[in-house]
Amino acid sequence: MQEKIRTYLQWKLPAAHNLTLSDFVQTAVGWSHEIYVFYANWQEDGRELRRGFCLRKDPGAGLLRELSSLKDQYRVLQALEPTVVPTPRVYWYEDDPSLLGGPFFIMEKVEGEATNPWSRAGKQVYAEAAKRGKLPRSFVEALASLHNLDWRAAGLDFLGVSGPGKDFALREVAKWESLIRQSLRKPEPVLTEVSMWLKANAPAVQRLAFVHGAYRTGNLMIKDDAIAAVIDWELQVIGDPLYDVAYVLSDLNREGSPLLSCIVEREFFLDYYQQLTGVTVDLDVCRYYEVLYMMRSTAFWLSASGLFAEGKSKDLRLARTAYSVPVVLDMAAKALGF
Amino acid sequence: MLSVQRFLDEVIGSLRNVIAPAIADPYPKAQAYMAAVILEFVSRQVEERGDIATGKEQALGALFADLAKLLDGKELATPHDKDGEARLCQIIEQLYMERDRLGETIFTAANQRVRQTLRQLLDQDLKVVGKAGQ
Repeated sequence: MQEKIRTYLQWKLPAAHNLTLSDFVQTAVGWSHEIYVFYANWQEDGRELRRGFCLRKDPGAGLLRELSSLKDQYRVLQALEPTVVPTPRVYWYEDDPSLLGGPFFIMEKVEGEATNPWSRAGKQVYAEAAKRGKLPRSFVEALASLHNLDWRAAGLDFLGVSGPGKDFALREVAKWESLIRQSLRKPEPVLTEVSMWLKANAPAVQRLAFVHGAYRTGNLMIKDDAIAAVIDWELQVIGDPLYDVAYVLSDLNREGSPLLSCIVEREFFLDYYQQLTGVTVDLDVCRYYEVLYMMRSTAFWLSASGLFAEGKSKDLRLARTAYSVPVVLDMAAKALGF
Repeated sequence: MLSVQRFLDEVIGSLRNVIAPAIADPYPKAQAYMAAVILEFVSRQVEERGDIATGKEQALGALFADLAKLLDGKELATPHDKDGEARLCQIIEQLYMERDRLGETIFTAANQRVRQTLRQLLDQDLKVVGKAGQ
């Protein structure tokens, strides 16, 4: 793979001489895509150059199956480049499988860390940053920059725009139902009850915004206690900004930490976010979206374990998710009062 | 969920073909191969536990009997699927879709009874992940 990437870069950088790759790492964090991070080193016009890159490749059997589109991700990042939203710059997209075996795109390697918040050490990193105070503010400001974005002007309406009222929530439920249908290997009556409840109780949207869909620590590159880039653009949608707010408020993303997303105090988050965006946070609507996230998580785990069961992946991490399904359904059942 | 045998076979395959060959240090490498060998023995000793399926069947049987009474003659248009959980999925969908025809009182009573059974089913599944009763 490393040599194929080097050959590709040489083709895209024809003025580069003696191009080599260094610090080449395939990270293990991506569930939907293969991710490679590396530096390219070359000589050009008598100068020594070194540039960091990150490559995302479609493995052909990703967690989101056909709901994931690398091309859409590339277009989103392209559209965001001239905006205030901190994102990596993208360079090239290719859908020719003869190059690397599947579609891929290459973007800049943003300097910083996206520390995993689930480990004890990760929680400690974020707890210490929270005490210093700068990162929690940056966390809220980056989210507000997404929700305040003029998404039509940025050209993001290609993602599809929900109709007024309950359309956004119903479309999301339908989206995750479609992933469940592709993945389900046996009937799941608890999941059926959750889906039907979600359809019967869908909230109306106050306003439409550009929504990340998985805004949390771990999906944010951090440098000098500030958000250097929002990453992991797979679930973005034009929809209710409270969808992101609910994700931040959710217990799903703090695993015992008293801080939302392991980084920000609840009251500060709510006050500062509403001040920056003018959005009124309706906690009942957020509780609805939290149940929707539980349905979505169930869809992810059914899809992941299904890929393994179908023999499309040998990754034991996917197999393990079969045991997460009843745990998430238990959370949803408790949220619905049973 | 995958069957116990299939899961063990996959873990053994990963230990033998992915993990052990990638380890350079002789001691952990031998440990990985030995873990695969031991799991092969273990896989011949274990079998699926039957109490979970039995517990689910009992919970579903009681629900279907109670629902007939709760619906007060307003039958749902659900086929009698041989698989109890598949049949329950159809009943849940029908309850929501026919909520207006059933009326709020009957819908609520039936939905509460369904949810009681869903909790029982979930508690059976949670036994496997070690979180029952939490």
